[in-house]
Amino acid sequence: MLLAVHSVFLDPYLGAAFYSAVAGAIQICENTGGGMRGWQNCLTSWLNLDETPMKLLVVEDDTTTSTYIARGLREEGHAVDVVADGRDGLVQATTGQYDVLILDRMLPELDGLTLLKTLRGAGNATPVLLLTAMGAVEDRIDGLNAGADDYLVKPFAFGELSARVNALARRPQALEQETTLRAGDLTMDLISRRVTRAGQDIDLLPREFALLEHLLRRKGRVQTRTMLLEAVWDISFDPMTNVVETHISRLRAKVDRPFDSELIQTVRGAGYRIDA
Amino acid sequence: MKARLAGLWRSMPLRLALLLVLLFTIVSLLSLAASYAVTQRSFEQAIRADLAQDMAGFRAAPGASALARLVEAESRETDPNRLILSYIGPNGRIYGNGAIARDNEGYHIVSIGAARAQYDGVYLTLTDTLYGGLLTIARSRAEITALREVFINILLVSLLPTVLIALSGGLILARRSKRHVEVIRGTLDRLTTGDLTARVAPGARWSDDLLRIGEAVNQMARAQETSVAALRQVSLDIAHDLKTPIQRVSVHLDDLDRAEATGEDRVEPLARARAELDGIAAIFQSLLQLAQVEQGDARAHFAPVDLTALCRTMIELYEPAAGEQGKRLICTLPETPAHVTGDRALLGQMIANLIENALRHSGDAEALDISLDQTADQVTLNVADGGPGIPAADRDKVLQRLYRLDRSRGTPGHGLGLALVDGVVKLHRARLELIDNAPGLRVVVTFER
Repeated sequence: MLLAVHSVFLDPYLGAAFYSAVAGAIQICENTGGGMRGWQNCLTSWLNLDETPMKLLVVEDDTTTSTYIARGLREEGHAVDVVADGRDGLVQATTGQYDVLILDRMLPELDGLTLLKTLRGAGNATPVLLLTAMGAVEDRIDGLNAGADDYLVKPFAFGELSARVNALARRPQALEQETTLRAGDLTMDLISRRVTRAGQDIDLLPREFALLEHLLRRKGRVQTRTMLLEAVWDISFDPMTNVVETHISRLRAKVDRPFDSELIQTVRGAGYRIDA
Repeated sequence: MKARLAGLWRSMPLRLALLLVLLFTIVSLLSLAASYAVTQRSFEQAIRADLAQDMAGFRAAPGASALARLVEAESRETDPNRLILSYIGPNGRIYGNGAIARDNEGYHIVSIGAARAQYDGVYLTLTDTLYGGLLTIARSRAEITALREVFINILLVSLLPTVLIALSGGLILARRSKRHVEVIRGTLDRLTTGDLTARVAPGARWSDDLLRIGEAVNQMARAQETSVAALRQVSLDIAHDLKTPIQRVSVHLDDLDRAEATGEDRVEPLARARAELDGIAAIFQSLLQLAQVEQGDARAHFAPVDLTALCRTMIELYEPAAGEQGKRLICTLPETPAHVTGDRALLGQMIANLIENALRHSGDAEALDISLDQTADQVTLNVADGGPGIPAADRDKVLQRLYRLDRSRGTPGHGLGLALVDGVVKLHRARLELIDNAPGLRVVVTFER
């Protein structure tokens, strides 16, 4: 995670995206009226990332799948364009200014990987989520090498897609150079590695700490089981056993159960989230 | 007929036979020519010696008239076809049974008398002046000419039949081997068109090399038949293993239909159908992954992987889930990193599958042992449970796709976990052993470094 934060400042593209996002935020805030109060409101709404509408392009030849994806994403408030073949996809992706591209790997006219390579070759750095029916390590590596930012194997649940698209939007994930993460009455001190809730110390194992930190850093965003497996354990396969659930329930036993309210929310059919 | 002959001509045995015949003919001709030349020379030398001796005899005559009488007497008894004696006396008279004549074409030997008939044949001649006259002795080379005929006869009698016999033998052999090759080709044709039961049936008189090729073809056909049968079995198993959950999805959809009509709860059948579909997708995912692992492409980006750290991560990942099932993961890991060359994701999945397998099939046994040992040249991973184990006879089968012990039918899993473990082990050229843990199963994976 620290790496990800650093890369925001090191990677030229990410850096540019970060600054343009900040500039955008400032502009929104100016429009909503000045003053300290307005700034804070503005920052909160800006950080509540799930509610920020995005412009998305879906390149998928199976209409059932593309309709399903587009409908779901529109319901979340995003603007979605759909094209059914690779050539149109390339034209659309080059001309339209999209926040995220959702790209099927096998497409008529021009396959997904070639489209992606052409796009990257032309200097277009729009975040891309690659959809594929394959899913072995090899394909994953091929996809990521071609310039994909994330990779989702069919069949997938919509919740998984939505969570990944939101994660890909590459807006800064809160101003987290700070050493303390907060959610409700819970505080996580990243330096002393102390976690307290309502003034009580909570004793966490290292991996539980990492899990909670990951969720806290992405307040308001759904994190799916596979996203957690990738981020916290660096595992890219899907275990048969419900290992993530048991880890979450152990974390809840320490973080939520002794207290009045639940911080860690279960999002049906998708994953977990700590509300902002 | 023409095409058949052309086919034969291109066949190996005939070409070999022709080549041998040609070689044999050349060698025979050379040796015959050499011995002919040697014999001819020695014959000629003998004739020359005879001529010199004859000349010496005549030279012993005391005078010209005595010599003339001697020549006359001798020539009466000799056959001019063999030996010609001719003495031109000082007086110009010719004695003997022949004379030397000369014309544009050279010297000839002719008979004495008005006829002057020319004698056929070639003669070797010796001439000397004796007592004012000229004595000529000529011996016929007929024997040498006869010798040539003898040699030509030898050639005809011995070489020609040999060549003919060799040629026809070559033809017969060529046709026979063509028949044998035809048998192999026919078998290959049948194999190509899909009849995998086709086999080469070698005859009793097949040559060793053709027998070996035939055996190799049969071996290939057997291997192919086995793998196709295995593939067919796998397809059937997949169809069977997928039809059952698809049937259940269909049932849940029916329930959903009915729930809509009667106003019952729809969440439950929906969740069940979704879970079944997830299961189907998981089977497909595992099958795809297994196929790709077996293809071996992942070797291209193998890198050093620390198995100690990877085991620790996996154990830590599964520890709460194990605890929930009332099991304990007891691990013995080395203090130091244990590096092997491989694919981290696949090795991680291998360890996860072994742990899941042990969790699922350990029965009432509480403790699962996971240990990692390393020596200078190998790293050994042990995953052991105290459950019912696997009967010795079934230990190879559990590595096959979709194979499940009958008593495991009720437990979750789809019979692909150990198959993938086997695939990953083979990909890493490591060794997989399933050992009786008495009680339970001990899986040992040994990586050579």
